[in-house]
Amino acid sequence: MQDIVKEDDILLEVRNISLSFGGVKALEDVSFDIRKGEVRAIIGPNGAGKSSMLNVINGFYHPQEGQIWFNGQLRNRMKPHQVAKLGIARTFQNIALFKGMSTLDNLMTGRYIKMHSNLFAQMIWKGPAQREEIEHRQKVEEIIDFLKIQSIRKTPVGKLPYGMQKRVELGRALAAESKLLLLDEPMAGMNLEEKEDMCRFVLDVNEQFGTTIALIEHDMGVVMDISNRVVVLDYGKKLADGSPDEVRNNAAVIDAYLGVSHD
Amino acid sequence: MFYRESGDFKTSYIQDQQIFPILQDRVFVIAVIAFAFLVVPFLINDYWEKSVLLPVLIWSLAAIGLNILTGYCGQVSLGTGGFMAVGAYASYKFTTAFPELNMFIIVLLSGGVTAMVGVLFGLPSLRIKGFYLAVATLASQFFLIWLFNKVPWFYNYSASGQINAPERFVAGIAVTGPNAPPWATYLFCLILVVVLALIAKNLTRGRFGRSWMAIRDMDIAAEIIGVAPLKAKLSAFSISSFYIGIAGALFFLVYLGAVEPTEAFGIDKSFLVLFMIIIGGLGSILGSFIGAAFMFLMPVLIKNILVNGLGWSTDIVAHLIFMIVGGLIMFFLIVEPHGLAQLWRVTKEKLRLWPFPH
Ligand SMILES: Nc1ncnc2c1ncn2[C@@H]1O[C@H](COP(=O)(O)OP(=O)(O)OP(=O)(O)O)[C@@H](O)[C@H]1O
Ligand SMILES: [Mg+2]
Repeated sequence: MQDIVKEDDILLEVRNISLSFGGVKALEDVSFDIRKGEVRAIIGPNGAGKSSMLNVINGFYHPQEGQIWFNGQLRNRMKPHQVAKLGIARTFQNIALFKGMSTLDNLMTGRYIKMHSNLFAQMIWKGPAQREEIEHRQKVEEIIDFLKIQSIRKTPVGKLPYGMQKRVELGRALAAESKLLLLDEPMAGMNLEEKEDMCRFVLDVNEQFGTTIALIEHDMGVVMDISNRVVVLDYGKKLADGSPDEVRNNAAVIDAYLGVSHD
Repeated sequence: MFYRESGDFKTSYIQDQQIFPILQDRVFVIAVIAFAFLVVPFLINDYWEKSVLLPVLIWSLAAIGLNILTGYCGQVSLGTGGFMAVGAYASYKFTTAFPELNMFIIVLLSGGVTAMVGVLFGLPSLRIKGFYLAVATLASQFFLIWLFNKVPWFYNYSASGQINAPERFVAGIAVTGPNAPPWATYLFCLILVVVLALIAKNLTRGRFGRSWMAIRDMDIAAEIIGVAPLKAKLSAFSISSFYIGIAGALFFLVYLGAVEPTEAFGIDKSFLVLFMIIIGGLGSILGSFIGAAFMFLMPVLIKNILVNGLGWSTDIVAHLIFMIVGGLIMFFLIVEPHGLAQLWRVTKEKLRLWPFPH
């Protein structure tokens, strides 16, 4: 995988990102890229800055220094809802579903940026609003079938078990049909069977829909299995970047994971 | 049991998206609306008009308005009374300035003015949430009432400081003023309430409603799927205020006829409407009607039974009513935040599966 990459193969690139909260340096001069169509893993010990990196990418945090390039263009400072329109979707480490709504409504809400009927059409309902609703309902039903969550379609998501909530959250992110999908520990807290299902879904999304995926994951087995390339963060700095095998055999990475002192 | 969904399968998304997906519900609601339009106008008298029908219709409209903001979008407001006052004073200025203007247009324009004021007072919601937002809306309540008391332009420099609804006609029939026949005032309100309730239902089940609920349930997740908080919150504030403003205009023009702002639109009204949506059901249009009817009629009923029937003293009964309302509010907040509407839904679900609950 070390061959030379053409510029337009890169979907997203972060360059020299530094982010700090008061005295805490969450990210320090971190650079890496995500190629079109790959599964890119971001790993590192607790507090390494992985989630902060995703928050920078989708506009929740604004780094003090550095640049973000998306699709070959330097991105200006953007709000999260503007980033969504660029085609970046994500899930959260702690489930962030719309608890009061059903599975179906969560997924329909995920298509917000794809729907355009105006206030007046919405008031009348019959006509454009209803047509749009049905068109998008069909798309959402495809995702429901894909994730095999037909039976919980109308269930309020607050009542679902943890593993199912994670799956619905993936569904909501998929509903946006984004170019880049950011997954923050999609398998955390799951049992083996649920993890296997989730791995399958991630790979299928990547292969069938061609979606580029960046995921944070602690389970090294999973990371080795499903990712094309891995970037390792530790104490806010990039420690290593390369194929799963390279990373696994990297001395610095082994030290970081075994907790060897940093000097 | 006839209350069955069995055999009533949905074969298209259109069927699944109906307001009342169950056939029996649909028939029942259509029957109620037909009765309200075709039968009630012939039976109505002064008592039913003033003591039951008009107030329930108008409070339902205010409750729908607050429910859009609080129940659907999650922004607590204690400014309902103040926004109703905006609607009332706007309608007063419009009717006196343009005596020839159609009353429906006057009422809708008053809602429009209130919507703009609502957006203005909704701006703090972009920065503050929950309790602090409630306090900010409380401040707007007091500010607005103060304004209408203080600035003579609003009450056309009348000596009493009150505003009085002039007599106005729709198709030659008076709908405001002392000579308006009960059936006319009732139909005037009914038409507005039915149409506006339908529009509210449409808005809340579509793209806009989902963006409000997304902000209510998890605002950061709403943002990452592309909902702009500014747009969602301010649209909720403006549409909510539109409804509340129309309720205020009707309350003044059709129901009270003469208004003194502190008394008619005080903070107690803000709480009244809030209690209506808590008891009726947060995030439910049907619940807004149930809550308004319940909160307005329950005290009347209890008073009728205990004071007129059993001869209890009025102040004991008044205290009793306070206690009952307080108890109910606590019950619903703790046990069933989706209110009476949800209790009804659960009962229906049980009935649908009866006699085989599993
Ligand atoms: N909003 C914030 N305010 C202050 N400090 C923050 C904030 N967000 C993150 N941090 C700090 O930045 C550092 C990196 O946190 P981050 O959540 O990115 O770690 P992580 O790699 O995702 O860890 P984990 O594996 O536990 O999820 C931590 O020291 C954290 O305390
Ligand atoms: Mg994290």
